[in-house]
Amino acid sequence: MKKFKNACIIDDDHIFIYGIKRLMIEVNFCEEILVYNNGEDAIKAFTINKQSGRPVPSIIFLDLNMPIMNGWDFLDAFCKSNESGLDNTIVYIISSSVDPRDLVRIKDYAVVKNYILKPITANDLEAIQKEEVA
Amino acid sequence: METLLTSSFIKDYPASVVIVNPQMRIIEHSKLWLKELENRNGSPIGIPFYDIIDYTDEGFSKCCEECLQGGKITKVIQKLNPPEEKTRWLEWTISPWKENHIEVNGLIIIKNDITETKRKEELLLKSKRISRIGGWEVDLLANTVYWTQVTKEIHEVPMDYVPNLEEGINFYKEGVDRDKISILVSDAMNEGLPWDTELRIITAKGKEIWVRAKGEVEIVDGICVRIYGTFQDIDEKKRVELKYQEVSDRLAIATKAASIGIWDYNIVENVLVWDDNMYPLYGVKKEDFSGVYEAWESTIHPEDSKPAQDQLELAINGEIDFNTEFRVVWPNGEIRYIKAVAHVIRDAKENAVKMVGANWDITTNKKAEKKLKNLLDITSEQNNSLMNFAHIVSHNLRSHSSNLSMLSGFFVEEKDKDEKDQLIKMLCEASESLNETVQNLSEVVQVKTDALDKMRPVNLYETITAVEKNLAVLLKEKDTVCEIEVDKELKIKAIPAYLDSILLNLFTNSIKYSSPERSLALRITAEKNGDHTLVTFSDNGQGINLKRHGNAIFGMYKTFHKHKDAKGIGLFITKNQIESMNGKIEVDSQVNKGTTFQLYFESIDL
Repeated sequence: MKKFKNACIIDDDHIFIYGIKRLMIEVNFCEEILVYNNGEDAIKAFTINKQSGRPVPSIIFLDLNMPIMNGWDFLDAFCKSNESGLDNTIVYIISSSVDPRDLVRIKDYAVVKNYILKPITANDLEAIQKEEVA
Repeated sequence: METLLTSSFIKDYPASVVIVNPQMRIIEHSKLWLKELENRNGSPIGIPFYDIIDYTDEGFSKCCEECLQGGKITKVIQKLNPPEEKTRWLEWTISPWKENHIEVNGLIIIKNDITETKRKEELLLKSKRISRIGGWEVDLLANTVYWTQVTKEIHEVPMDYVPNLEEGINFYKEGVDRDKISILVSDAMNEGLPWDTELRIITAKGKEIWVRAKGEVEIVDGICVRIYGTFQDIDEKKRVELKYQEVSDRLAIATKAASIGIWDYNIVENVLVWDDNMYPLYGVKKEDFSGVYEAWESTIHPEDSKPAQDQLELAINGEIDFNTEFRVVWPNGEIRYIKAVAHVIRDAKENAVKMVGANWDITTNKKAEKKLKNLLDITSEQNNSLMNFAHIVSHNLRSHSSNLSMLSGFFVEEKDKDEKDQLIKMLCEASESLNETVQNLSEVVQVKTDALDKMRPVNLYETITAVEKNLAVLLKEKDTVCEIEVDKELKIKAIPAYLDSILLNLFTNSIKYSSPERSLALRITAEKNGDHTLVTFSDNGQGINLKRHGNAIFGMYKTFHKHKDAKGIGLFITKNQIESMNGKIEVDSQVNKGTTFQLYFESIDL
């Protein structure tokens, strides 16, 4: 099975990060894993990458509740700074929130592909891989 | 000589007089008589009377014949209806003219045009009929009673009815009406007092009607000889009046019972009148004020006086209907809410001439409305916070439990010993986090359920210094300068444990988020403003972008800094604790300048 070139995780929970990284390696999900602990760190890194010609990650796993810049603020900033060329990136929200207001709100963002309720499993990652990497 | 004298006397007599001989030939006449004959040439002397006056009737000629036979002076009234002319009335006075006082030598005929008198009489009769005024008279000497036609009509008796005094009285309705007229008549007869009263009679046909009865007596030598008066049918007017009275009595009772005050403002003369219900609404006594406007002005709430007067002006100008509310301050200091509505009355030219309005007290409604609104606010806020709470709880528990399940899954499959140790460490961490979350949550629930009756006066300064002392080591690490500008005697109403917790949290927040570029400076002030005491807590730390985060700062599990200890629970609990003590907390902050919290507490009543 083909794998993603680079996957990005934006989450402040280091146990979750450990878990998803471990699962990614297990299912051979991608070639490279980028980790940021909040939205602001991610946006800053993307900007620097862009200047040095490195592409935006092809898939982003985004948490909603984070300090400094939460998932929503990240989405706003991300969409604004990548008005063109978003086709190459897909975002999956991964959260523990079952708040229906959050589920409604993601519909406002075309870039968000789906919403995954924690915990994430190896099966979830394989399904994404199957669907997205033809 | 005598004849001559008589003759010239007749000629100049200032009436229409004619003298005829027994054959009805004219012997003499007054100048006036001749003047009234139109188109008459030559002397009428010797000409038969009937040749000249052709319009007399049979009654007239019969009278003349009787008079010539030696009759007495007679008067005949003749109604003339000449074609295409107005009706005229003539009064003929025919008297025999005797020589030597025995033999009748002719007649003296005096003509008098009484048309005007007759017309006035008719008019009077007509007006009496229209206004339904009848007359009556009792001759106490002859013991006869006379009723005019209208009086009979009012009593609904036939025209040939012959009344007597007793029967007349018996027409009055049995009971108060008859008793009253009996007393009035008897007083009149004994003391000569006139009467004028309104009573009910029962007519011959059994109909009950209101009449106005007026009476007077004629007393001769101390004896009442005659009673007379008028009798008017006022039934329609009286019933309308009674109906009106009933309605206005009912209105008066209703407005009194409902404490509705009525006022009346004469715009043209600038005179304001209040009814008696108005004064209690304003908590004042009528006798304490010389004028109504003065009473109104002295009680209206200063803030509401101008708007109310503006409204009044707009209503007079016809721009709005007068429908407003204002507060009044009673002399005992109590504030009451008054609802005021009014109607403007305009003249034919649309000028406002008068305003009639009503006032009533809506304080109870206002208070209930306020209470209800408060309750609604509290309920929706509580509902909102409960909803958030539920989501937060589920989110936080879920994030830890999902980590636990994920880690335990890895652990089962893991073969590598070092990796297994690593997993155990993380499992412990996750379970500890879960435990901490549960503890936080129970703390939040605790705040929400703690009762207000634990509130008591607490010395603010002592509490602050105690917390400061507890944190002495941490504060020293940051080289903290702490300014406490609080009156050492000042006490506020608080739950001591909460006040400790709030101050501890604010201190630790300031330490945690102090600026790495400068040493920490804290400033705490307190000021009593009537029923509340404002405490400010300022630092010179990192600050927070309030535009971006707004009041989320007090939300649960909201963190805004990279600090490793940021848990997003402290300010949430602080806010809940303050609110449960009927206080509130506000924040003001600038990034990299510092943060100031304003805390409002209840003052101690003195």
